[in-house]
Amino acid sequence: MKRFLETGNFAITEGAILAGCRFFCGYPITPATELAEAMSKRLPQEGGVYLQAEDECAAMHVCIGASLGGMKAMTATSGPGYILYADPFGWALGCEMPLVVVNSGRVGPVSGITGAPGQGEFYLTRYPTQGGNFEAITLAPNSAQEAMAMVVEAFYLSERFRMPVTVLGDQLITDGFEDITVPENEDEMKEMGFRTWPRSFCAGPDFYPYSDSLDIPPVQMGSGAGGLCSDWTPTEQGYDIEEVEAHHKHAYRLIYKVRNHRDLFNHLYEKKYMDDDPDLVVVSYGTPSRVVNTAVDRARAEGMKVGALRLINLWPFPDEHFKRKTKYLSVELNWDGELVREVQRAAPKDSEVHFLGSCGDLPTIPDLLETFEKLLKNQPLERKGWTLEAW
Amino acid sequence: MQYSSATLIDKYLRTRKIPSTACSGCGLGINHKVVVQAINELDLKVNDIIWGTSIGCAGRQTFATWQGDGFAGTHGRVYAIARGLRIALPPEKKIICTVGDGDAFGIGLMHLIHSARSNVDMTVIVNDNLGYQSTGGQFGFTTPQGAHTDSSPYGMFEHNLMSEGMDVMHILKGAGATFLARHVAMDGQRAVESVKRAILNPGFSLVHMPYPCPTNFASRELGSRNQVNIYRWIKERAKPLEEADENTVWATGVWHDATGSRPEFSEHVWGAVNKIRKTGAL
Repeated sequence: MKRFLETGNFAITEGAILAGCRFFCGYPITPATELAEAMSKRLPQEGGVYLQAEDECAAMHVCIGASLGGMKAMTATSGPGYILYADPFGWALGCEMPLVVVNSGRVGPVSGITGAPGQGEFYLTRYPTQGGNFEAITLAPNSAQEAMAMVVEAFYLSERFRMPVTVLGDQLITDGFEDITVPENEDEMKEMGFRTWPRSFCAGPDFYPYSDSLDIPPVQMGSGAGGLCSDWTPTEQGYDIEEVEAHHKHAYRLIYKVRNHRDLFNHLYEKKYMDDDPDLVVVSYGTPSRVVNTAVDRARAEGMKVGALRLINLWPFPDEHFKRKTKYLSVELNWDGELVREVQRAAPKDSEVHFLGSCGDLPTIPDLLETFEKLLKNQPLERKGWTLEAW
Repeated sequence: MQYSSATLIDKYLRTRKIPSTACSGCGLGINHKVVVQAINELDLKVNDIIWGTSIGCAGRQTFATWQGDGFAGTHGRVYAIARGLRIALPPEKKIICTVGDGDAFGIGLMHLIHSARSNVDMTVIVNDNLGYQSTGGQFGFTTPQGAHTDSSPYGMFEHNLMSEGMDVMHILKGAGATFLARHVAMDGQRAVESVKRAILNPGFSLVHMPYPCPTNFASRELGSRNQVNIYRWIKERAKPLEEADENTVWATGVWHDATGSRPEFSEHVWGAVNKIRKTGAL
């Protein structure tokens, strides 16, 4: 193993290469630009191709094309670019084409603040394209080291589920320098818990069976066997069809191949002080969870019965972690509250669900401790510049 | 050489998609046959070609007609998909994309321009039915000036890419395309010859092929769905490049042939990658 003091962008690049990614196409955007730069340096050294597209919509389509030809591909962007992925995301979902998409969140909406981290794409990663009738997989690391692992995992899942998988980070993860350990061989990869899955090959004409089965190879162009892939509702052989019954079958597969195989990623969460039925559960993902974990340690030291639950797989939403009726606090890098709405939905009826949001900077430990204390004493929360909603 | 449609169908096409759902009198089938005939005259095999299509009449009618591999992109994006596919495919495989005018010259123009810039080895056949006919008959960016459509009830008055001295071919030439030609559907063997040269060009090729739409365009502009009227109307406005005059809408023939003048995209990219891998630098 090799150790580096490097950025999350470096870690993600190395993770992608370890997972077998040999194609990257992107469009420069802060704070994902350095990831493209790292790919442009590293991929040719590994016999891979880096391309820069005319816009994000093209970038993801180019990646889809490479994947359609049998290469493991990845693209990376920030929120304003991720929204331009909406069109190709639908294509990749409908055609069941494996792909990894990294989103380094910044303050929005639109261009917002280029140089500050944000978590405004929680729902966008669940509904990254139009039309509905699909399920999405999103992983959210909270460190550079974990970003590497999550990218490897994203490639594993995207191959097995035959679909695009999003890794949702933020500027602190991609641009921040940290101590990073990179495995140098397969044994070391296994030791670090990395799973990989090879690209398999479906020449056609079969497109897919109408079932929730995994591990069905994606259609690949080039053999001349009659493989078909289109943006229309497909038949079992990939022909376009305008029949609702056929679409039911298609949608069943897009939704339930993910929902019925959640055992593959429902272990991806982190619990802290959750074994003794805490009076307050602090829910977070991404970089805020690092502050939350420290704050919860301090709270415990001060005698507060607080636990922390960090989500790594955001979608499908891990409802199973919200079975207990208690107080919940969602800590997010946004002002409007996104994760909190899902916690509210998943938690038992009449649970107290609270929200602490800020945008562009992390919450401070004193702020968090004050909030914990007030919630535990049933006192109302005070927020600067923002009035709390009912929850 | 003579080819009956049946011979070409048996050799290259899927009978499942024939007859197509095209409207009666649609000229797309003529264009489609021109392309397949060119492939046949070049003696290419089913597995030599990956057939890309897009949306609208052209995309929908030509998707999955090729016996070999085929894909359809969303609105205007097929060129970007083809660019990634080109990197992944062996260089001897050919990519032919049959698209519509809106897909190529409207929503997809930027992707088209960048594919031309990169000189990606693909052959784009733009089947131009003079507007958005599958959505009911709105004007497009090559709709002749003054034409009446559902969205130009007073006559098409916007500046477009086929009038006032402007021609989309100039844009594509400027962007770096290495083969450009235009033929109306009734150009016959002249069109076949151009498509053959386009397929053989190891780089970005585009053949613009206007064709008659009796159902929407003709019914609005000519007041009749009589196929003869629209076929004659197009023919009257098309002339070979060397005979074109001020009344010519479609100057036909080979517009630009720079075959071999620039490196092909995937060859160029893989060449660079292999060199960097071996020596650490370009």
